[in-house]
Amino acid sequence: MGIMAQIYAIGGGKGGSGKSFLTANFGTLFARQGINTVLVDLDLGGSNLHSLLGFRQEKKGLNSFLNKSVSDLSAVAVPTGIPNLHLISSVDCSLEIGNLFYAQKMKIINAIRRLPFDIVLIDLGAGSTYNVLDFFLSAHEGVFVLTPEPTSIQNTVQFIKAIYLRRVKQILKHYAFSNVVKELAGESEAGLIRSPLDIVDRVMTKDPDRGKLLEKELGKLVFKLVLNQYRKHIDETLGNKIETVCNRHFYAGFQFVGNITHDERVHNSVLAKTIFANKYPYTPTSADLKQAAEVMLKNGEKTSNNMGKYGEV
Amino acid sequence: MERFENLNYYELLEVPANASPFEIRQAYRNALSIYEEDSMISDSFFTDEERIAILRRIEGAFSTLIDESQRGTYNKELMDAGVIDASLLEKGKPRSKDPIPLFSLKKTGGQNFLSARVKNRIERKDFTEVTQEILSKDLISGKDLERLRKHAGIAIEEIFEVTRISLKVLRAIENDDVASLPQTFFLKNFLKAYAELFKLDSGKVIDGYLESIAYLKNSR
Repeated sequence: MGIMAQIYAIGGGKGGSGKSFLTANFGTLFARQGINTVLVDLDLGGSNLHSLLGFRQEKKGLNSFLNKSVSDLSAVAVPTGIPNLHLISSVDCSLEIGNLFYAQKMKIINAIRRLPFDIVLIDLGAGSTYNVLDFFLSAHEGVFVLTPEPTSIQNTVQFIKAIYLRRVKQILKHYAFSNVVKELAGESEAGLIRSPLDIVDRVMTKDPDRGKLLEKELGKLVFKLVLNQYRKHIDETLGNKIETVCNRHFYAGFQFVGNITHDERVHNSVLAKTIFANKYPYTPTSADLKQAAEVMLKNGEKTSNNMGKYGEV
Repeated sequence: MERFENLNYYELLEVPANASPFEIRQAYRNALSIYEEDSMISDSFFTDEERIAILRRIEGAFSTLIDESQRGTYNKELMDAGVIDASLLEKGKPRSKDPIPLFSLKKTGGQNFLSARVKNRIERKDFTEVTQEILSKDLISGKDLERLRKHAGIAIEEIFEVTRISLKVLRAIENDDVASLPQTFFLKNFLKAYAELFKLDSGKVIDGYLESIAYLKNSR
């Protein structure tokens, strides 16, 4: 067991793109390799990860931790039927949990970082509210789930931009660039700033030293892209193209993990409350899931390296 | 990651500095599929003005790199600026092999080639001694023909390749397998072809063989 768990957050704008499905299946595939894994359902107000894992109701969960009936978050991690796989559900939370207080949010984030597991998978909800963004940024690696439709790509890009903006603001605050932030806040209200990249550009032109620092900090961000519900007739390089564009136009590292083939039987596995990769192990979709899970585990190895083609330019 | 505005034309199209015009054309088409108006990706990332500005850069890159003289000038600029090294511009190693056509006779040998080879081998071989001996006999059996073939060092399959007499028939002839032999009319023609391949007197071979067969039939 590692000192600190590797935390993955799974999010990505649009609802119904398969975030919970992928969380459950990736968790199962990691656990199968003997990695001690815990899934955390932080789709607050829309929890249903427990259902995918075959739980009908779960009394223990995040709420027990928030209302202090247990002191340690790991106490509410319940074993699933699958060896090495645990779940922290949030289905026990109140109906108003969607609007977390700042202190509660920080409490959850800090508790997740101390969980005694090898891998933590955080399932996030749709939308780009501060709660979602902060949970996403608290992870070591963020995984964006998108489907090959313009609506999904649009929402994912909006989500990426929102994440990015949130991080830029965090960094500026952390390094006490408060005067810059104030100035920028005024400009964004005036409609001058459309994209988080404009902020970076602005800081760079105004204060090159701080701009470099900002660029360096943003370069530490690692994001992964999964193209879910992939269908045959779609351009198979779509994911790589999105990766290229993201890498080109954001100062962060994006890695395309792979296509997950669409399968009608996913519906059956959800109805049966079983994990797809267990119920239908010998399907193209399960093979895709397996491959994507392997790529996820390989840290830092990039699928494509733009600079590599040039040698040492 | 280099800033997008600072990418050189090669980086912009994601091709190596020694890319062929074909590769450049493909890369250009690829870039268009990302940034053109009805692409699934571009409208999420960029406003129309940004997109058009990017497209203009890509078109500039393409039109420069696809034109040999313009590309030369551009390469010189890059080299003078120290962006690329001259060694990167060298053409990649020529392909070690030319593509092999799907139905190349040279590769598979081919019928004409093989039959010519077999005939050539027969011509070079001196086996008058064996032929003399065979032709001097009244009855010529399949075993004699087989002995002749083996003396010349030719496989039965090669006889088939040259004469196109089926292996089944050839084996029946050589084994004196009376029951499997074809009708006399065909048999005569087959024997003729066999004999001519070995430059024997075909009339004599046919007569001798038919007599030998008749003798076999009677003795049974």
